[in-house]
Amino acid sequence: MGEKSRRNFLKTLGIAGAACTGIPSQKLISKTQPQLSEDRMGVLVDTTVCIGCRRCEWVCKKTHDIPAGEIESYSEESVFSKMRRPGNEGYTKVNRYDNYQNPSRPINVKVQCMHCDQPACVSACIVGAFSKKEDGSVVWDSNKCIGCRYCMVACPFQIPTFEYENALNPDIHKCDFCAERTEEGLLPACVDICPVEALTYGKRRDLIEVAEKRIKLYPDRYIDKIYGFTEVGGTSWMYLANTEFEKLDFPNLRDNPAPGVSESIQHGIFAYFVPPISLYALLGGIMWVTKKKNNNNGWNK
Amino acid sequence: MKAHLKIFIFFLILSQFLITSFAQNHSQMKFDCSLCHACETPTKSDPCLITCPCDEMMTVHIPPVRSPKIITMHKLNVNQNLYEPVLFSHRVHAEMSEMSGGCGMCHHYNPSGNVVPCSNCHQINRNRTDISKPDLKAAYHRQCIDCHMQWSDDFSCTSCHELNESGRTAFEEKEIKEERVHPEIEVPEKLIYQTPDQKKSLVTFYHSDHTNYFDFECIDCHQEESCTSCHLKNELKSEQKISMRLKHKSCSQCHYTDEKSDCTKCHIKEIAKPFNHKRRTSFELKSYHMELSCIRCHESKSVFTGLSSNCANCHSGWNLETFDHKVTGLMLDEMHADVECIDCHPGEDFSTVPSCEDCHDEKTYPDDKPGILKN
Repeated sequence: MGEKSRRNFLKTLGIAGAACTGIPSQKLISKTQPQLSEDRMGVLVDTTVCIGCRRCEWVCKKTHDIPAGEIESYSEESVFSKMRRPGNEGYTKVNRYDNYQNPSRPINVKVQCMHCDQPACVSACIVGAFSKKEDGSVVWDSNKCIGCRYCMVACPFQIPTFEYENALNPDIHKCDFCAERTEEGLLPACVDICPVEALTYGKRRDLIEVAEKRIKLYPDRYIDKIYGFTEVGGTSWMYLANTEFEKLDFPNLRDNPAPGVSESIQHGIFAYFVPPISLYALLGGIMWVTKKKNNNNGWNK
Repeated sequence: MKAHLKIFIFFLILSQFLITSFAQNHSQMKFDCSLCHACETPTKSDPCLITCPCDEMMTVHIPPVRSPKIITMHKLNVNQNLYEPVLFSHRVHAEMSEMSGGCGMCHHYNPSGNVVPCSNCHQINRNRTDISKPDLKAAYHRQCIDCHMQWSDDFSCTSCHELNESGRTAFEEKEIKEERVHPEIEVPEKLIYQTPDQKKSLVTFYHSDHTNYFDFECIDCHQEESCTSCHLKNELKSEQKISMRLKHKSCSQCHYTDEKSDCTKCHIKEIAKPFNHKRRTSFELKSYHMELSCIRCHESKSVFTGLSSNCANCHSGWNLETFDHKVTGLMLDEMHADVECIDCHPGEDFSTVPSCEDCHDEKTYPDDKPGILKN
C-alpha cells in the first residue's frame, strides 16, 4: 500500500511538474493572480488637463509621512529640467514635456505605480509580501519583505524602490493607492487635491467609458489610445494624451501580462530542482577536482 | 442690437402683463410670492416688494455691459478653509470674450432661458458616482487656468484667491490684496509694421484714429482671437507665418488690399503721418466738425466717399430762427441779424465769400464785417 501510494505520488508530481513548465510557456498566463473584481477602482489621468502644479507630489508625501516641505516650494518649475522618477522620497512625480501643438501649454505627466491588474511584483515576490487587492490596488507588507528586490526587477514600469541608505532595516516603497484612505471612503490624496481634476477616480470600467467618450468627442485633443487599457494585461491607472505615449517616456509594452513572462522564466529555471542540483553538482565537481589535486600534491596525511 | 430689442420687447410685454393682471388678482397666479415679496403677508400699504429679480431672468445673450461686473464664486466655500471666495471680474472677461469665442467660451451649455449655473451639471463633491463631467472645483479651475497659465507665469492659488483668516495664519501672510480688477487696456496710438519684403516698406496703422474717429468697435477688427494674442508670455511671442490674405484681413474690410490695388497707399518708405482731413480732402474740420465721428457725415462706414463741401449737403432746413450765426465765429450785429441767409450767401453756398453787393455799394467781406468776431 505504502509503496503503491509512493509510486502514485511520484507519478502525480511528475505530471504536475510537466504542467508547471509546459503550460505557462505556451499561454503566458499567470497562475498566482487573484480573481479581479468587476467593480475594481482605477484612476484616469488626463495629461491634456494636468497643469503641472505638483500638488499631488506634496500631498502624497504628507499622506505617507514623508518630509514634504512647504507647498509654495512646489511652484518651482526648474525641477522639470530633468526627468524624475518616483522613489522613497516621494511615490509620485510629475514630469514636463514640450507640446509641439501648443508651445504655451506644455504636457505634464504624473508618474506613479500603475497598479497592474496582473502585477509582476506580486508574482515575483518570493515571500508573498505583495498582494493585489480586490479594489484594484497593489499593496505590500513591510513586515514580510526580506529585501530581495525581485519586485524591482519584475516591474515593467520600474516603480518599487529600495531604501539603499537604510542599512539595518531597509524597506521597499511605492504608491499604495492610498489604501488607508480609500478604506475609509476617502479619495486617494492626489485625486482629492488636484485643482483641475486631471485625475479622475472611479470604477475602472466607468473610467474606460469616460475615456472613450472623451476621445470620441474631442478627436483633436486626444490620440485614439488609452494607455493602460490593455498594456501588460491592463492597469488600474490609465492615461490619455495628445501625443504618442513613447514621446512621454511611457514604456512600449505588449498586452501580455508581465507575470506570465516572468513566471515562465522563473518557473522554468526552478523546475525539477534544477538550480540546487546544478549547484550541488558544481560544488561536488569542484570538491572532487580539488581533492584529486591535493592527493597528487601529496598533501593527504 | 437684436438682443437689446428682444430684451426691450420682453420687458415691455412683462410690464403690460404686470399692470393689467397682477394689479387685480395676481395672488392667484402661478408664481411663488417670494419672487416679488420679502414678507409672508404683503399688504397694500406695505407690499414689502423686493428689488426686481432681473438677475434671475438674465440670459447669456445680453451685451457684456449689462452683465454682472463682479461675481463672487461662493459655491465651493463650504469646503474651503483657507481661501476667500474668488471675486471674478465677469464683465471684463465678457468684454474680452467678444473678441474671441463669445459667452459660449465659458457658458458652454446655454439653452434658451436663464443662465444655467455651473453647479447644475458639475457636482460640488469630488467623491461621486457620475464621473462623466469634472466636479465644480475642477470646472472652475479649468476655465480660469486654461487661459491664465498660457499668458501668466503666476498661477499660484493666491493669484486669484484671497487668503481668509485661517489661511493667513496657515501661510503667515498678513497682506490682503486689493480687490482684483482688470487694468485698463492700453490702446496704442499707432503701430508700425515692417514688411518682410526687400523694400522693407513700412505700414503705419493709426490705431487711435480708427477707434476715436472712424467709429470702430474693438470687435470690428479683433475677431476670433485667443486670449494669448494679447496675453502671452514674452518668450513665446513670435511672428507666425500666415498668408498674405490673412495678414490684410482686418484692413481689407475698408481698404483695397488685393494684388491689383495700389500697395503704396499704405506701404511706404517712412512712417506715415496721421490722417488729416484738410490734407486729404481740402476741407478743414474746425470746431464742431472736429468732434463728429466720420460716420455722421460719411454714412457708409466701410468706404468713405467724398461729399460736397456745400453746407446744405448735410445741413438742410436752417433759417433765421434755427441758426445761431455765432457758431461760425461771427456774431451778427442788430442790423444784419434779421437779414435772410440767402441775401448774403447767394445760392446758399456758404463755402464762398459772402456778398455785400446786393445792399451795399462800397462794402466787401472780409474788410467790412456785418458784426463782431467771436472766438
